[in-house]
Amino acid sequence: MERHLKNLRAALAQVFAYPSYIALAGALATLAFLLAVWLPNLGLIADVFFGSNAPLAAKLNIALSLLGGIGTNFSPLSAGYTIAIAVLFGITAAMIVYLLKQRRVAAAGQNIALGSGAVASGVVGIGCAACGSLILGGLVPFVGAAGALALLPLNGAEFGILSVALLFVSLLLISKTIAEPVTCPLARSENAHQP
Amino acid sequence: MAAAESVSGEVKLSVTAEWAECIGEDLSGRMNVARAKGKIMSIAGFFRGVMAGLILLASAANAQTAERSAADTALVERVKEAVIKELRESGALDRAIDAGVNRYVERQRTEAAQRERREADAKAAKMRPVAKGRDHIRGNFDAPVTLIEYSDFECPFCKGFHTTVKKVVEESKGQVKWVYRHFPLDQLHPVKARKEAAASECAAELGGNDAFWKFADRFFDLTPSNNRTDIDTVLPQIAREIGLDEAKFASCLASGRHDRRVEEDFQDAGASGGRGTPWSIIVSKSGKTYSLSGAQPYAAVKQLIDLALQEK
Repeated sequence: MERHLKNLRAALAQVFAYPSYIALAGALATLAFLLAVWLPNLGLIADVFFGSNAPLAAKLNIALSLLGGIGTNFSPLSAGYTIAIAVLFGITAAMIVYLLKQRRVAAAGQNIALGSGAVASGVVGIGCAACGSLILGGLVPFVGAAGALALLPLNGAEFGILSVALLFVSLLLISKTIAEPVTCPLARSENAHQP
Repeated sequence: MAAAESVSGEVKLSVTAEWAECIGEDLSGRMNVARAKGKIMSIAGFFRGVMAGLILLASAANAQTAERSAADTALVERVKEAVIKELRESGALDRAIDAGVNRYVERQRTEAAQRERREADAKAAKMRPVAKGRDHIRGNFDAPVTLIEYSDFECPFCKGFHTTVKKVVEESKGQVKWVYRHFPLDQLHPVKARKEAAASECAAELGGNDAFWKFADRFFDLTPSNNRTDIDTVLPQIAREIGLDEAKFASCLASGRHDRRVEEDFQDAGASGGRGTPWSIIVSKSGKTYSLSGAQPYAAVKQLIDLALQEK
């Protein structure tokens, strides 16, 4: 574990030495956070912005005030993992972009697959934040989703926790790829030290 | 003389009087020669000769026309290139394309908004209309804006949202009325949520609309939510505190006579698009609806109410 954390520190230092990656990670984390908090009310936001004649400032105020839902519509646990998912998603995505820029497509591809699974799990977890699942509710018959979630000890928060775990694993794997790049070692020879 | 003229891309072959005279002279000359030699030339042979001449002349004219046509095409191409270059360099072409794309995006956006509006209206149409005798209403019944809340007594988010909506209605000075409907999530809060909903209906039966709201306020104050309420203790306690006849309250609750009403509210919540609690629909005077999911903060609810108040 110590080695993984060392790799993580080294990779973070390497990637975020560039301000552009800090900006990218920040932008993606913010975007993920906004989507997570607005998720239950995306229809309302669309209705306010495109179906109302109110001034733009009033529309923006409504959208911004809905962000306060992180405090009122999320339990401390779900608010915690929602923020963690957003931050980890931003960092992981920025590091994947770094790998792609280094033309290490194979390593980036594996992490994109893992990251996608984490994000999907996170979406379900965030959807379960309030009473009843907002995401599954649209996929399975009405309230059947809530029934399925009731079987879980944390009523669906498990998906959010799983998402954080997957994103963290993905981050460790990317860090390893960045900090310990696969190289062909030089063959030892008898006279290797001779000029 | 025959002349080929290019006018607006069309070739016109004109036969002049001079040319006709020449033909006439030629005819006369030929007749004289024939007579002099004593030979008779047939009319048909003569016309064959005339036709050959005409074809020759026409061929010459066509060749000239083809050359001019090629020159015209090249000119058109040069003009076309110059115009396109000018459009590109001046940015007019880009602006025209941008304007076209913007118009397309705007059209798509408008159609999407209209589609969403139709869907929202369809959902609102499925929702049961607010009725004084049927619904529990807090605030001015004639208020221009209505907030219909679908709620579960065991949902912790509904508990917090209850305080938020109460504040909004109290501060609205008669501009907002609050309608409470039941949405007990049996799978998350089995037995208790539905029984508590029925208990609130018993309070309304025994004490009227005011008793219902007193029951709801006190219930959310007292209970811990998440199916942890000790209903055998809490329900009689609230009935006593709000001044209801405890025996009648217990009898009402045991009878199950309000279960159907609770179920009707539950079905109504689903029909209006509810997938979790609290689920609210804000209806403006004009009938426009805004569906609000979850326990959103006071500022968001207040601003949505203001938006609905501005709807004509």
